Amino acid sequence: MPLTQDEIKTIERILGRKPTQEELAMFEAQWSEHCSYKSSKLLLMWLPTKASHVIIGPGRDAGAIEAFPGIAIVFKIESHNHPSAVDPYNGAATGIGGIVRDILTLGAKPIALLDLLYLGNPKDHHANWLIRNIVKGISDYGNRIGVPTVAGDVWFDSSYNRQPLVNVACIGLVSKQKIVNDKPEPGDCIIIAGNDTGRDGLLGSSFASRPLSSDTDKDIGAVQVGNPLMEKLIIDFLIELVEEGVIKYIKDLGGGGLTTAISEVMADHNLGAEIHLDKLHLREDLTPIEILVSESQERMLLIVNENNLDRVKAILNKYEIPYSVIGRFDKSRRLRVFFKDELVADIPAKELAKPHVIRRMYRPPIEALKGLRDITIPLPRDMQQAFEMVLSSPNVASKRWIYEQYDYEVGIRTVIKPGQGDAAVLRLLDGTKRGIAIKGDANPRYTYLDPFRGAANSVAECFRNLVAVGSEPLAIVDELNAGNPEKPTHFWYFARMVKGIAWMCDELSIPVVGGKVSFYNENEYGQQVKPVATIVGVGKLVNIEKAKSMDFKEPGSYIVVVGITYPELGGSEYLHTVHGIDEGEIPIPRPVAELKCAKLLQKLMKHEALLSAHDVSVGGLATSIAEMSVQGMLGVDVDLSKAPIRTISRLDELMFSESQARYILEIHEGKLNLVLKETQDLGIEVGVLGKVVDNGKIIFRYLGKTIIDMDLQHVHEVYTKSLDKLMR
Amino acid sequence: MTKIAVLKFPGTNCDLDVVHVLKTTTNLDAEVIWYQDFRARKFDAVVIPGGFSYGDWLRAGAIAAQTKAMGEIRVAIDMGLPVLGICNGFQILVEATLLPGALLSNECGYFVCKWVRLRVRRPRGPWLILLEEGQEIDMPIAHGKGRYYIDEDTYMKIASTSPTIEYVNENPNGSSFNLAGLASPNGLVLGLMPHPERSAEEELTPRGKIPGGIYIWKSIELSLKRGW
Repeated sequence: MPLTQDEIKTIERILGRKPTQEELAMFEAQWSEHCSYKSSKLLLMWLPTKASHVIIGPGRDAGAIEAFPGIAIVFKIESHNHPSAVDPYNGAATGIGGIVRDILTLGAKPIALLDLLYLGNPKDHHANWLIRNIVKGISDYGNRIGVPTVAGDVWFDSSYNRQPLVNVACIGLVSKQKIVNDKPEPGDCIIIAGNDTGRDGLLGSSFASRPLSSDTDKDIGAVQVGNPLMEKLIIDFLIELVEEGVIKYIKDLGGGGLTTAISEVMADHNLGAEIHLDKLHLREDLTPIEILVSESQERMLLIVNENNLDRVKAILNKYEIPYSVIGRFDKSRRLRVFFKDELVADIPAKELAKPHVIRRMYRPPIEALKGLRDITIPLPRDMQQAFEMVLSSPNVASKRWIYEQYDYEVGIRTVIKPGQGDAAVLRLLDGTKRGIAIKGDANPRYTYLDPFRGAANSVAECFRNLVAVGSEPLAIVDELNAGNPEKPTHFWYFARMVKGIAWMCDELSIPVVGGKVSFYNENEYGQQVKPVATIVGVGKLVNIEKAKSMDFKEPGSYIVVVGITYPELGGSEYLHTVHGIDEGEIPIPRPVAELKCAKLLQKLMKHEALLSAHDVSVGGLATSIAEMSVQGMLGVDVDLSKAPIRTISRLDELMFSESQARYILEIHEGKLNLVLKETQDLGIEVGVLGKVVDNGKIIFRYLGKTIIDMDLQHVHEVYTKSLDKLMR
Repeated sequence: MTKIAVLKFPGTNCDLDVVHVLKTTTNLDAEVIWYQDFRARKFDAVVIPGGFSYGDWLRAGAIAAQTKAMGEIRVAIDMGLPVLGICNGFQILVEATLLPGALLSNECGYFVCKWVRLRVRRPRGPWLILLEEGQEIDMPIAHGKGRYYIDEDTYMKIASTSPTIEYVNENPNGSSFNLAGLASPNGLVLGLMPHPERSAEEELTPRGKIPGGIYIWKSIELSLKRGW
C-alpha cells in the first residue's frame, strides 16, 4: 500500500525537508502494514505474553520458551498468503524459507515445520492448481533444507478459491545460554551473508498490505523466488557460528528487506549506522532504491564484533557463502545510506522503525447474524450415508495426500508422525527421553460465524491436541488472517479474534510468545475470505515412550468418552456437508471443562491406564471414534446413548455435534474402575460406550438399535482415499 | 577405534542422523566429514547419507558425483573399504557409475514419504551379513527421484550375481523390477533408497513395523570386527 498523504507529511516533519526517492521507498516498505503492525498493535496488547518459562516474548523474529531447565524451544508462525495466490509454488516455498530464518535469528537449530493451509474447493480448477503447487512448494523447499514437516492443519472452503491462506510455523531447539541475543554496539560490523540481492520481491511487504489486483500478472514481480540449497547452507554455517560463539546478533532479511532489518536493530538498541550499498553483492545492476527494498530470499544480517570478523569470514568461506561487510553501527541513532560515496538517505532510525499506530474503527457486518441463527433441519433418512458423507469430506478425511509429500522423518526425532496422533511428538535427542509435542489448529467456519468463540475454540482445540498425546501445553503463537483493516466490517473480525484468543489463553494460563498478522485477504471483488485465527502450540513430554497415539490397539479394551455432548451443530462439518448450511451458533468454548479434562488425562497417563487418546472436534463423536478405528485397523462396537449429554434430542446431534472439551479414550480392560473413580473425584462426566473388537466392523448402536454397521475396510477406504480422489 | 566417515556435501541433510544411529546402536565411531576434507585412508568404512546435494541441480547426485571426494571414494573401494549410499547417497553412487542403473522421478510425479516393506535377496558383504535370503524388513522412504531404472539384460546379470533389496506389496515409485537398492557383486558397495538410519530405533518405529535399519548397522559393526 503506497504511503498516504498524511504519512508523507509526517515524513517531511521527521526529516525537516522533502524526502529523497530512496527515503520514500524505505518508509513505504517499513510503514507497510506487513512490517509495522500499525493497525493491529493496539489490539494485540490484549494477548497475555508473560509466564515464568517465557524467555523471549513477542517483538523479536521468534519467541522462546524454556521447555526444560536450560533447554529453549524457539518458535514462530508466518503467513505467505498474497505471494501464494499469485505464484503458489514459489509463494509457499519462500514462506518456509522465511520462517526457518526467523528461528535461526536466535541461534536455534530448526527441528520441525508445520503448515496450516486454508485452501479452495479441490473441484474448482484454479483452486486445484493452487493446492497442488502450494503443497509442492512446501515439499520441495522443506525437504531440501532437511527440516521435517511434521504437523499442520488443512481446510477446504470455496472462499479460498482465488486467495488461499498459507501459514507456516517452525520450531527450533537451542540450549538457553547459547541463544544469540547480545546487544549490538557502536563499531560492530554489519555483514549481509547469503544470496545475491536481485530484483525479486521488490516492495513485497507493501504488496502484501493491499488487496490482490484483478490482474495478478501485474503482481508477479513482487513474489520472491527461493533457493533451498542456500537456505540449507545458511542453517549449517549459522549453527557453526553459534557453536563457536562468534556472533552477537542475527536478523533475517525478510519483509521490507535491508531497510527493515537494519532499522529495527537500530531502533531496538538506540544505535545509528552507516551503510554502503555499493559494497553489497548483487545479482544484477540495481538502483539504490531497489537494493534497499528488494526482498531477495536467503539473506541474513549478521552483527559481529570486529575481533571475530576473521573467524566469521573463514566459516562463511568454508561453506562458499557470498557475503559483504556493508557498514558499521555508530552512536548517531540515524541510518545514513551511501551509494558510491553519495549520501542517498539520512533518517532517524526510531522514527523509521516505529510508525504511529492507527486506531481503526470496527463494527459487525449484517453477515455476522448468520452466527446467531437457529437452524432447523430434517433428520437424514439414511444415517449411514450421512456418516459416510462426513467422513469423506476433505476437511475430515485423511490428509495423507499432503503429508506424504513431506519428509516428516529427517532429523530422526519424529516419534508420533503425521496421521498417527492428535499432535506430532518429537524427541530432543539429548540423551534423555524428553520431547515436545506440536500442533496447529484453526476452523475458518467457526471464526467466520463467530470470530470471538471461533478463535477461542482454536486455542482450546490446540490445547486438547497437545494434552491428548500426553504433553503439558506450554505456549502458543498465533497468526491472524483477516480482511481489509480500513473497512470497519472486516476489522471487526480481526478485533473479535484477538479478544477470543486472549480470553482463552488467559483462562488456560497459556502465554502467546509470538505471532503475525495478515490483512487484506480479499478476493478480487473486495470481499474478505473467511477470516482465520491459526494457533500453533508447543507442549513438553518427560518421556516420549509414554506419548499417546490415537490408533485403537487392543481388542477388548474399553472405549470411553470424556465430557458432555450438547446440541451444538451450528457451523459443524455435518451441517455443511450433509445439509449444505454454513450457519448457526458455533459450539461454546468451555475453558473450565478443558482444564478439568486435561487434568484427568494427565492422571490417567500417570496410572498407565490409557492405550490411546483422541480429542473430539470436526465431525463430532462418530467421526473421532471412526478415526481411531481406521488408524488401528480394529473394529468397534459402541452404544452412543451411553455418552453424557445435555438436552440432546436427536441422533444427528449426538453423532456430529462439535461440543468442546471432549476426548475419546481407549482404556486397558483392567483399569476401567480406576478410570471411573478418578473421573468421579474430579467431577467429570464420562460414558463407557463399548469395546474395541477384532471383527472388522464398525458398529454404532443407539438405545439398543443398530444405526451404523459398516465394514472397517470400507470405512478405511473412504477415510484415507477421499482427498486422493479429489486431487487425482 | 574403528571409524566411519559420514560424507557431507553442500545440501546433505541426513549426516547427523547417521552419526547418531552409528553411535547409539553400535560400538563404532563416526564423524561427519565435509566433502573437501575427505581422505579415504583415515577411515574403515564410508557412508554417503541422504539429502539434496547441490540442491538436486542438473540431476539428483550428478554434481556431487563429479567432485574430488568421489575420486577418494574410488580409492576407498580399491582399498576394500565398505561404502554405503543412502537415498541421495545411492543417487550419487549411481551417477558416479559405481553402481549400475539410473534414478528417475517417481512415477506418481511427487515426493513420497512413507514406511515400506522390503525383501533382501542374496545378502552378502559387510552391510548385509546379518540378513538372510528372502528376509523381510521395514524402512521408510523419503524421495522424489527414487524410481530405479535398469534394462532387462543388466537386471538378469545382477539377479544372478549381486545382492538386491526389493519392495514387497507395493512399488512406491515405479522402480524397475521393484528394486529399492542393490550392491556390487561382492556386497562392498551398497546403495538403497530407503533410510536405515530412520529405522534402527524402537522409538521411531511405528507399531507393527520391523525396524530394518538395525540389521544394516549391526552388520557393519560385526563385519568391521570380524571380517565378512
